[in-house]
Amino acid sequence: MNNLFRFFILIIPIVGILFFYNILTEDKFYPGANFKNINVPEFKLTGLQSESMFVNKDLDNEMLLNVWASWCITCRIEHGFLMKLQSEGVLVTGLNYKDEATDAINWLNLYGNPYNYNLHDRKGSLALDMGVTGAPETFLIKNGVVLVHYSGEVNQTIWDKVFIPIITENEMFK
Amino acid sequence: MIGEVSHFFSILASGLFFLSFVFSTRTYNGNHNLELLVSRVFSYGFSFILISFLLYVWLAIQSDFSIRYIAEHSNKDLPIFYKISSIWSAHEGSMFLWILFLAGWSQLFNYSLSKNDLLKAPAIGVLAFIIFGFLIFLLFTSNPFETILPIAPINGADINPVLQDPALVIHPPFLYLGYVGFVIAFAYNTAFLIKGDMQINWESVIRPWSLAAWILLTIGISLGSWWAYYELGWGGYWFWDPVENVALMPWLAGTALIHSLYVSSRSKVLRGWTILLSISVFSLSLFGAFIVRSGIIDSVHAFANDPQRGLYLLAFSAVLITSSLTFYVYRLPQLISKNLVVAKSKESFLTINNILFAAAIFAVMLGVLYPLIFDYLYDERISVGPPYYNTIFAPLTFLASAFLVFSVGSLWQRSSKLFYLNSFLSMSILSAFLITMASVYFYQEYQWWFIGGIFSGFLILIRYFFLIADSFMKKNYFNKSSATAHIGLGILILATSLNAALSYEKIINIKPGETYKGDAYEFYLIDFDLINEPNYDSVQAKFSVKDINSPNEIFFMFPEKRKYFIRGQITSESAIKITPLKDIYMTLGDQLDNGYWVVNIQYNFLIRWIWIAAAIMCLGGFAALMERLRKS
Repeated sequence: MNNLFRFFILIIPIVGILFFYNILTEDKFYPGANFKNINVPEFKLTGLQSESMFVNKDLDNEMLLNVWASWCITCRIEHGFLMKLQSEGVLVTGLNYKDEATDAINWLNLYGNPYNYNLHDRKGSLALDMGVTGAPETFLIKNGVVLVHYSGEVNQTIWDKVFIPIITENEMFK
Repeated sequence: MIGEVSHFFSILASGLFFLSFVFSTRTYNGNHNLELLVSRVFSYGFSFILISFLLYVWLAIQSDFSIRYIAEHSNKDLPIFYKISSIWSAHEGSMFLWILFLAGWSQLFNYSLSKNDLLKAPAIGVLAFIIFGFLIFLLFTSNPFETILPIAPINGADINPVLQDPALVIHPPFLYLGYVGFVIAFAYNTAFLIKGDMQINWESVIRPWSLAAWILLTIGISLGSWWAYYELGWGGYWFWDPVENVALMPWLAGTALIHSLYVSSRSKVLRGWTILLSISVFSLSLFGAFIVRSGIIDSVHAFANDPQRGLYLLAFSAVLITSSLTFYVYRLPQLISKNLVVAKSKESFLTINNILFAAAIFAVMLGVLYPLIFDYLYDERISVGPPYYNTIFAPLTFLASAFLVFSVGSLWQRSSKLFYLNSFLSMSILSAFLITMASVYFYQEYQWWFIGGIFSGFLILIRYFFLIADSFMKKNYFNKSSATAHIGLGILILATSLNAALSYEKIINIKPGETYKGDAYEFYLIDFDLINEPNYDSVQAKFSVKDINSPNEIFFMFPEKRKYFIRGQITSESAIKITPLKDIYMTLGDQLDNGYWVVNIQYNFLIRWIWIAAAIMCLGGFAALMERLRKS
């Protein structure tokens, strides 16, 4: 009886620890990442640098949609990595979120523009429909379907661990 | 520059804690000079971490946005105390505060424990190891000192507006103080188990520390519940959110620990169980830290982040918990007392309640883990909600109250005759039964949890009333701190049961100039005000409310909705009218197209009494602590 108790006292936490280890090292476990394949909601937004209207069919077939704002400090940190992605041929479209156009344009002029173009979501309506809770968030989109939704800063590690497997699987950005 | 200095002091501190730990491993055979050195190096380690933290507070006050963490969580326009509290508004900084408290408690222990205490150096060594481990975690996976180079931003990102609140300035610190306070019991008992000298009276050493930690944890949890009530706008005081649950588990284990310690120090039974509890409380705190900071569970509180942190915390907790338990299992045969627990003695009732507490902890643990296990096995997200917890928790609470009441008049180490006809116990049961019948009849509420709640609440209160009255008449001694804390518990059970049974809400559509006539009040919407504040715009409704039963009594309520500029977040500020028996809780919803506004009116009965009860429980704990300190 006593030995059984002693055995269980030790074995229960060890089983728990192994269980958590398993969850944490699982490939799909990445806090902030969501892989539900949803369609990009209907939208109609002006561009940031132009007054022309953009709707769903204007999106590129294979693209990264990055939610950002000039007031967002983390976006400023993420910015360097987006510049690198753009230079590697990944199409990054900006979704400027709850921001004044002049602030956003100044920001791009000051630090450099990693986006091929920008949508201006001043009220955050598209962002709301897409489940954005704060900037920065990044969507990997193929033919109007969101393959990855990542909340938080995208950097080299996140890119390699979260995005690259999906990109390879779907043969994107060739 | 100051940022680098602060960073440097933290690095130095981690080195000192490591040294202190290494020295301590050489002291198990009793080397007095080395023991002194362990303690002294530890003190330096604490001073350095304190300096580092104070410099960091200075950086936050100065809004030094070259520090990434400060830039991401603070803002130039914030009042000074929010600048400071922004430090613990997210992962890195709150971890820093956690470590500061860990080191602070440990240093207080180091300072107050006699240097002749046989377990001092080993216990300080265990503490040094724990602090070292967390400092490494801070510096390598969650560095709050990281800088933004080359150009610092002009302004910061602001803290989340729902966190811009006085209760949030003090709630996490209390919670952390409580969490880490149990580290003393863990470290001292681990040292005891390593050393294996069964003569050492560890109960009396760790009792005051565990009591103090319990009080702070109780305050921390109550403040969190109070904040959630008036800030989140849902009108509830407890949501069974995973993060609340991981605070509740150490609280339950800590409550069991302080009772079990009482038994062990009185009659040397349950020593093995008490040590297991002291290991469990801190292990559950570690588990909580892991759950919250690994991002493994979605919650309003979770700090989203990378899995490296989770892995590190898991590995470090695994080292602490398994090594401590290994020593425990190894020493267990020596710990088991030759004395058996006598049936119907005070110990026996406390033992039964220990088992009930263990069951409650297991139930909460299962509730927290079940969605994870389910997701792991079936790849499907589910959530475990209040019905599960209420169904399990209510009966356990009622049973525990019954055994608590049995234990009141019982004797140590002797079987007690409790159930004779005119005993206080029988009289209490009878009166509680009559009151329960009357309440059921009066409120027409036949739910099992309502009957159980009213009965056990009154049972506790009446039994203690008899105890106090009897002791005053006969001028006997009675345990005042225990009576206070348990009266608090009785009030808590009554308040939660009545709150659940009586509270109701009404959702109304109303526009300016209209009156809504409720059961007991008339709400007249005068108009709306637009308010421009430096960091938000707000729409504020002005209601004048008339009590139908006493028409001369008119008061005003101003529920509002705020829109914060910097993050664009919309928050609802509820208006709360407090009366002794109930709160009127009003939340402004959305405006409809036809000019009407949706307003939610809740009547929350006895909700204040829940926090008053918690305060009374803390007061009881505090009295017990004072008594302990006076005796030692």
